[in-house]
Amino acid sequence: MTLAKAASQGLGFPNIAVAPVRGHPGLQSKEALQQNVRELTLNGVIDNLLTMPAAKAVGGEPGVRDIVCTGSFEEVNEYFLAHQLSDGLPVVPPTVEKVEAFLKYTDRKADEVIGVMLPDNRAATVWSVAVNGVMAGCRPEYMPVLVAAVEAMADHAYGVEHSGNTPGGDNLIILNGPVIKELGFNYTQGVMRDGFQANTSVGRFWRLCLRNIAGFLPHGNDKATFGNTWRVVVAENEDVVKKIGWTPNCADYGFAAGSNALSVGRYTGGNHISSVSGAKPEDLMPYIADAVVRQYSWQLMFSVGQGYDTLRPLLLLSPIIAETIAGGGWSKQKFREELFAQARMPARRFEQILRDWTQKPTWNLKEEHEAGRIPKIFHESDDPERLVPVVWKPADFQVVVTGDLGRNSIYVFAHNGVLGFPVCKEIKGAKTAGVARG
Amino acid sequence: MTDRQYAALWPRGPRQAKVKPLAKRLDTLEGKTIAWVWDYVFRGNEVFEQLEKSLAAKYPGVKFLHWDLFGNTHGSDERNVVANLPQKLRELGADAVVSGMGC
Repeated sequence: MTLAKAASQGLGFPNIAVAPVRGHPGLQSKEALQQNVRELTLNGVIDNLLTMPAAKAVGGEPGVRDIVCTGSFEEVNEYFLAHQLSDGLPVVPPTVEKVEAFLKYTDRKADEVIGVMLPDNRAATVWSVAVNGVMAGCRPEYMPVLVAAVEAMADHAYGVEHSGNTPGGDNLIILNGPVIKELGFNYTQGVMRDGFQANTSVGRFWRLCLRNIAGFLPHGNDKATFGNTWRVVVAENEDVVKKIGWTPNCADYGFAAGSNALSVGRYTGGNHISSVSGAKPEDLMPYIADAVVRQYSWQLMFSVGQGYDTLRPLLLLSPIIAETIAGGGWSKQKFREELFAQARMPARRFEQILRDWTQKPTWNLKEEHEAGRIPKIFHESDDPERLVPVVWKPADFQVVVTGDLGRNSIYVFAHNGVLGFPVCKEIKGAKTAGVARG
Repeated sequence: MTDRQYAALWPRGPRQAKVKPLAKRLDTLEGKTIAWVWDYVFRGNEVFEQLEKSLAAKYPGVKFLHWDLFGNTHGSDERNVVANLPQKLRELGADAVVSGMGC
């Protein structure tokens, strides 16, 4: 099914006409593409402009509080699998009693709409958040975190509607605040590993919401070429952040240190960089900067081209790496400035990736600069070997301190630009277990 | 011993979209103005170029509005671009729109 067909129902046009293109344009010679357009696409375009497609109704479905299955644990799970309501793992059956237990941890009305999400164009209500939280195996006291996560998902700047795109990147939630310890999130060794209920179940919750609320289904409107599984939540080590005099991730989005907040963003991949070695920050920077540049290929189109200044590389620094950098007198801002200065590639390569290798239309750094669309730093001379940055400014780098306390590693994520732009939300009303309202 | 029974709720969010009518189709393309709207991927510029040539040969007087008049429907300014489409299309006198490219 083409993306246009798959997405049209949620937009209210289930019968919209689509003119097919034979094969994938990226793998055809100019002549073959022209021939395919003449032989197939042309007739489709003419038909669609001159002939009204037959009307098509959208089928009915249960109401949001309807019981759709009564049975044993296995029977409920079979039903959810058969109706594409589950991710393939067993879900906790979402009963009224369990959902109401979650609702006790929020002051918000169950029917309140947090946002409306494409491609299915469904409302994310507080109720549906609780239902999917139950299914994911969350504890009721996670509810404020779940609500904040869905607020982020529904933020237009994040762009949830792109979550089924070709690269199949997945979201990463980064957590800050006292809620980390209160709810038992892992923020040290193995922080990206499953095995910790809070990190794991909230990560799974995100993917279930993409399925059941936004409406992304593989073999339907989730068009990921390969895809990823969902990522567990990464919590920052705020003890170390405070000790070295840096600010937490949420502060970069305007929230004070000590706030309960989470940020989200979509990443197409990443790499663990081992053995980051040296006694001073100056010793560490070349290796770190090189690791950042190596993560960025076609994603450069989100710095110049498809998106302008929407690339936000994310680096996780293990605590002793952050301590070594801070020990040299560097603030987080200084680290970013040095990264911006060193994480560069030849302009020739930057343009080659966009223009030649990925066949983007006209992107040329000189033309883009002269048209006023990008800053001068991308075109300070006509030398094709000049070094250009991968982002527009130092603040574009996201930096988070977390992971094993004793290992000298970093992790660099490849960001998906405007198709999963980072946003941050406050977690309101977080309470520890046993202090539910009412 | 009987397994515990669960009454499981529907987990999906309520649909918000209502089915909308499609625009009236044209009786002919002769003398009409067709707008190309593009998401700047999948070689749409070349596809539109070939479509223009073929349509112009088949329908005398057909005119085209180039995709760069509208902006990128799949980039950092996509929401503004899409929101501005109806007004721009009216101002430019478009009779029909072809929007691409998908995959």
